[in-house]
Amino acid sequence: MQSANVLLRKIVKSSVLPFATQHGMKKDLFPLSRTLSLSLCLKQDSSGSPSEKLDLDAWKKVMKSGLQEEVSETVSEPKELSTLAAAREILEMWRLAGRSVPENISEEQLKTFMECPSKSAKKKYLKYLHLKEMYKRNDKRKMDEKRERRLETQKQASETDAIRKNSFVCLWANCMDKAYSWRVAQSMIFGQPLIFDMSYEEEMSVREVANTVRQIVLSEGSNRRSVDPFHIHFCNLKEDSLYHKEFIKHYREAWGKLLVTVTDQCYTDIFPKDKLIYLTADSPKVMKTFDHDKIYIVGSMVDRSIKTGVSLARAKRLGLETAALPLEKYLLWNSGAKNLTLDQMMHILLTLKDTGDWKAALEYVPKRKYCGFVSRPVHELKKTLNLINTLKLGKRQEAVRKQFAKNYSKKLMQK
Amino acid sequence: VQPPERPLQAEEWNRLRESFKSPEIFEEVMFNSMVRCNSSIDVAKSLLTHVAKSNGDIAYNLLVKYLALCVQQGQISEICDVYDIMKIRFRILESGAYNLLIRGLSNSDQWRMALTLLEEVKKHMIPSRTNYESCIKAASRHQEMNLAFELYHEMLAKDLVPTLDVLQAFFEFSRGMEGAQLQKELFDILLYLRDNQIYPHETFMQSIKLWFESIPGGNWRGHLTNIKDSGQCPVCNHQLEDSDLTEEEYNNLSERIIKDVIHGTDTFRKTSPQEFEAFQTFVENRLPFDIVIDGLNVSHIKPRRMQCENLFDAVNFLAKGNARLLVLGRKHMLINSSNWKREIMKEMQNKADFFFAENISEDDAFLLYATLRSGKHCKFVTRDFLRDHKACLSNSLTRHLFRKWQRGHQIAFSPSSIKMVLSVFIQQPAFSYDCVVQTTGDTWHIPYKDYFEGKYSYRVPRKWLCIQQK
Repeated sequence: MQSANVLLRKIVKSSVLPFATQHGMKKDLFPLSRTLSLSLCLKQDSSGSPSEKLDLDAWKKVMKSGLQEEVSETVSEPKELSTLAAAREILEMWRLAGRSVPENISEEQLKTFMECPSKSAKKKYLKYLHLKEMYKRNDKRKMDEKRERRLETQKQASETDAIRKNSFVCLWANCMDKAYSWRVAQSMIFGQPLIFDMSYEEEMSVREVANTVRQIVLSEGSNRRSVDPFHIHFCNLKEDSLYHKEFIKHYREAWGKLLVTVTDQCYTDIFPKDKLIYLTADSPKVMKTFDHDKIYIVGSMVDRSIKTGVSLARAKRLGLETAALPLEKYLLWNSGAKNLTLDQMMHILLTLKDTGDWKAALEYVPKRKYCGFVSRPVHELKKTLNLINTLKLGKRQEAVRKQFAKNYSKKLMQK
Repeated sequence: VQPPERPLQAEEWNRLRESFKSPEIFEEVMFNSMVRCNSSIDVAKSLLTHVAKSNGDIAYNLLVKYLALCVQQGQISEICDVYDIMKIRFRILESGAYNLLIRGLSNSDQWRMALTLLEEVKKHMIPSRTNYESCIKAASRHQEMNLAFELYHEMLAKDLVPTLDVLQAFFEFSRGMEGAQLQKELFDILLYLRDNQIYPHETFMQSIKLWFESIPGGNWRGHLTNIKDSGQCPVCNHQLEDSDLTEEEYNNLSERIIKDVIHGTDTFRKTSPQEFEAFQTFVENRLPFDIVIDGLNVSHIKPRRMQCENLFDAVNFLAKGNARLLVLGRKHMLINSSNWKREIMKEMQNKADFFFAENISEDDAFLLYATLRSGKHCKFVTRDFLRDHKACLSNSLTRHLFRKWQRGHQIAFSPSSIKMVLSVFIQQPAFSYDCVVQTTGDTWHIPYKDYFEGKYSYRVPRKWLCIQQK
């Protein structure tokens, strides 16, 4: 009802406007009445210029003239607005003011918006929605363009009307799916388990949980397509938890047919403790090789606010062995946190499982986070460094170290 | 783009617009640069007229930008006109326009209109603290102190933090005014500074001083001074408050440290329950300590020397006064290595008690616990500012307590001096008094900051305003 009213008002406004402009134009022809209020300096200025008649306040007349009828209308409207409608109206004004605000906003999103605890939280949420809307719109535009192109080529194809001969019926995707499923089913019987620990719901915000599930969906996909998949376990996954709801949002009916083990039990109840290794970036121990007899656990957590030691605490509590990836050993780390996304972890683990080659596995670490691969193990480099330092001990120690670092980086550059 | 010097005709604007590379945002860009160059509003008006005539309407954001230009130049009648137009056009405005209107009007004779606008803002949203600032300043400039204070309390009730400018305005404009109520309100502001450990800057301090001296029949006199290290004011010989916490504050703080810092959301994040229990019994059996040392932190003071030598020097230095020492470390220190020689460690253990935590545990949390548990006289040694632990505390009141306690109890070695010198907070000598606004009824002592002094939160001001009643 409210929005209908607004719409109506808009129509009235636009139908009045042509008249308003005319009105304004006409005013311009009359000998100036209000123009005389121009400032002194302007008069001096305009005396030299050819344009003398310039009604500077004409815009006010235009803005006011078309709206006389409307004033009475707004008064008659009910003053009290529901809070939702009021919020919607404020958003509309923000949009007019040129802030990043989505054009369309659903009731649910509006409620989330109003529940944001602070002004900056509100701004952030709106910007997020705005960007999401832009992406969606762009995707849709691209899709439309694609469809048009396809229709065109189809038209051309039907004109040429060539019949291709092929011994296979074109059912690629379907066949691949079946083959993949076979492999995963096999891994569920004979494969090495990999555990996703779903016990971090309280540590995360709703958006972080959504991100986590998205990453897990990606990792499950790459696991399915690999030559020798893991047997994935989702442990500590409670029915009706946020995780669970998000999974169903992503997989829909496929959730029930997914070839993974889902349980609300803890991994310590399913597997012997001495076989479990918890992977966490905070671990003091560094992983040397991938062990095919162990069962690795990955914490299903996205932490934007960098909560250190949360997953390490889990492992400590249960008395499990922990390990971190040897990122420092193989990569010259540049910037960014050492915790990787779940799908990156999955790629790395799959590569390790297949080849045992750290260099190939760590290709999946985002390029922005490191400068390059370390040619020799870091401890060897450090040993040479120490040797040189002890040889040239004295005041030049610092200079020597710097020189070494320089040469080293040069060597890297040449590679 | 450079805005034109004089108002242009429609054709001239059209020509400019077409020569601009993206004509659809021409007006916005032009208005932005007008605001930047502070162009005459007549130029802006001519552009608005051009837009109105060609489109029949002016977009909201252009109006706001024009408003910004008017506010910048204090064109009150124009501000009112724009407001009238906006009011007809839109049912409500957004915060940007309200901010501009309130700021523009509060500096004029029409300042009461700013107040009505503030009421209007309140209907839709929580006004910003600058909105309140403008209104409060306007009210106090016109000597309506009651109104100003009403707004001030309203603002506090909404959890908005007042700017120092607002607080200064109260002192600035109450000068020479009489009234017990007014005096009480201003004293309350000073106590607000005390509670939140805010230090006024120099001009604010001058306003406070002048207000005190202007109180009719008050006979207040203010002097600028430096407080001696002993905590005595050289002007009035008054002894400042010491930095000790009260019994209740102390208990509250130690409770919070255990709860928020050590346990937090999960005890396993920083230590483990077994380890913490072991530490507790260890401490209880040996209480009380005089100084608790963060072994690993101290061992890194001089990077060229062996780590255990650094620690050895520190322990020797501190053990001189027969003080009972506790050194906190990690288990890896016990393994004979190039940095940690077993013999030296043995020798140290004769002079001080040692507790070794697990290598992956946080020793700082233990440091805080042991110091607090030992009592008020106990101090601790570390160069760490302990910001991350302060951040773990759940409310701001406890954080203030923590800061206060830290000021009085932390010792830091300065690494530069050859002979180790005891000093609290590196650049500062030990404070035996608390650096905070304080009163005894007939005296006030107010620490203040120089304008150009760095804004390091750990550095407390050295300059004071002493006010006494004759």
